[in-house]
Amino acid sequence: MRGLPSASWLALPEMDAVLDKEAWRYSERAWNALHAQEFTAANTSALLPVSLVEQFDWPETRARRIVLVNGHPHSEDDLVAVAKFRLTDGRLADGECLHLVFVNAPGPNAARWGHDLALTLEHGSAEIIEQHIGINGADVLGQVTSHMRVSTGAHLRVTALSDLPDSVSLYHREKVSIGASGAYSSTLALFGGRLQRFDIDVDMAGEQANYVSRGVFAPRGRQHIDVHLDARHSARDTRSDVLWRGVADQRGRGILHGAITVAAGADGADARLQTKNLLLSPHAEIDAQPVLEIYADEVKASHGATVGQLDERALFYLRSRGVPLAAARSLLISGFCREAFDGVADAESRARIEALLAERLPQAGETA
Amino acid sequence: MLKIDNLHVRVAGKEILKGLALQVNAGEVHAIMGPNGAGKSTLGNVLAGRDGYELTQGSVSYNGTDLLELAPEQRAAAGVFLAFQYPVEIPGVNNTYFLKAALNAQRKYRGEAELDSMQFLKAVREKLRVLHISDDLMNRAVNAGFSGGEKKRNEIFQMALLQPQLAILDETDSGLDIDALKMVADGVNAMRDPKRAFIVITHYQRLLDYIVPDFVHVMVDGRIVESGDKSLALKLEEHGYAWIAERKLVGAA
Repeated sequence: MRGLPSASWLALPEMDAVLDKEAWRYSERAWNALHAQEFTAANTSALLPVSLVEQFDWPETRARRIVLVNGHPHSEDDLVAVAKFRLTDGRLADGECLHLVFVNAPGPNAARWGHDLALTLEHGSAEIIEQHIGINGADVLGQVTSHMRVSTGAHLRVTALSDLPDSVSLYHREKVSIGASGAYSSTLALFGGRLQRFDIDVDMAGEQANYVSRGVFAPRGRQHIDVHLDARHSARDTRSDVLWRGVADQRGRGILHGAITVAAGADGADARLQTKNLLLSPHAEIDAQPVLEIYADEVKASHGATVGQLDERALFYLRSRGVPLAAARSLLISGFCREAFDGVADAESRARIEALLAERLPQAGETA
Repeated sequence: MLKIDNLHVRVAGKEILKGLALQVNAGEVHAIMGPNGAGKSTLGNVLAGRDGYELTQGSVSYNGTDLLELAPEQRAAAGVFLAFQYPVEIPGVNNTYFLKAALNAQRKYRGEAELDSMQFLKAVREKLRVLHISDDLMNRAVNAGFSGGEKKRNEIFQMALLQPQLAILDETDSGLDIDALKMVADGVNAMRDPKRAFIVITHYQRLLDYIVPDFVHVMVDGRIVESGDKSLALKLEEHGYAWIAERKLVGAA
């Protein structure tokens, strides 16, 4: 373990979050059902099947990739990289692009692991691609705690791609602080899993700090995805722009809680939050909960949340041009989600998200 | 090509079409005029296959098959096209992608080879030029943020690309200024063909100055009450729809 920062997979985090009943209102039962199992510490030396490696082995990120299996560096190279980048107390260099792969590998029994991330971007721009994947089997619960600090004028982009098998759960806690004129752009695409819970806590701490959050989640089967976003405008002339899409099929369950607080003194803040959600089955459920609290003056704030079904008029329009029903439905669903990623500048991230959308969004005919 | 016989259609329990009859042969342009609420748009929607219309009596035969048995996409592949009165905005769905999917689905259904991207773009460019539509419209989402005129021109552009046998234009002229109206008319006229038929649904005679019909039908209260040549449209323009209603009363007496 030489050179390895305090590996929290040894000391598992407490599962105390659920004590906050209000914050877990829609997911307490799912969490308790998961937690009712006897969890052991996850095996950290699992072998990875080729099909899994293919999911993250991208030529363009190979040199800057760190693979963590059940929270633990996978190979000697990964171990060295963890030490080099000091994931738990490191500084991101200008122009850095880190690809972090969190692999969930089941053992004979239910198992859990945890990992901390704490990184600071002092200046310039950097990118983190955080990928969560796994192998189906006994339950695995991964817990990631991430602290990001974006200093004055710096720009950090994080793309989180979570594509989990049904037996894997993820509890992801993220705390971000953005300094003056700094920017944090976050793009999340969340698919699959037994339970995915994202606590996102962003503080626009410095003047003119800018926060952009784009995301899509698409639970189906009995999957449960809960995003709990808390954005706080603490300084003057800060901007937040939160735009999410949700699609639930079969018995899928989705929650987007988006709270924007404009603190006293954060005058001139501009806060936008929009979430649109689509239910594809009578048994699917999405709860969209926008909350806006404003304690400052001259604030521009807007929020909107909708939950609806596929637009029959649009469906007919596509069909009247010759697009078959199944394809027309797929086109509308992916188009609906793609809206959230309009203006995401980075073409590579876009392409990866689009590929995930194409693969993971419900195809027509499955909802019957 | 199209034979509509004694068509009765209900929408939400209310009878809208009440025994409509119409025959359209290849090569003909039929104008259907009439006041609001006469059922003109209902006719267009029923022919294209929109849900929510209940057929209670009558039949629609298209090239010898029962049109009403077909799903909307099958009708499209068989050559039926409806230019919508209110084209639907579909954010997130790219115009080019959508049209390529539509055209290739139709071709596949008919047993024709699908077009590759190069062939498709070539076809698109040709049609865009004719309709004075800029390329960037193709890169936008379907009708999203289009002006009223752009939406209507986009309908005609889609028609030009899909080359239907029977095109139904539902108030394509409404909301268009005179330049846009001419472009739309040019687009339609360029497609007039002995093998193709048009049903032009309109409120106003104005469009028919540019798209000159072979037949004009007046629709009132769910059926066609008067048919004639293009001069009928001019009479309507002069006397208004009340004139038709009066003539009907006289005829009935």
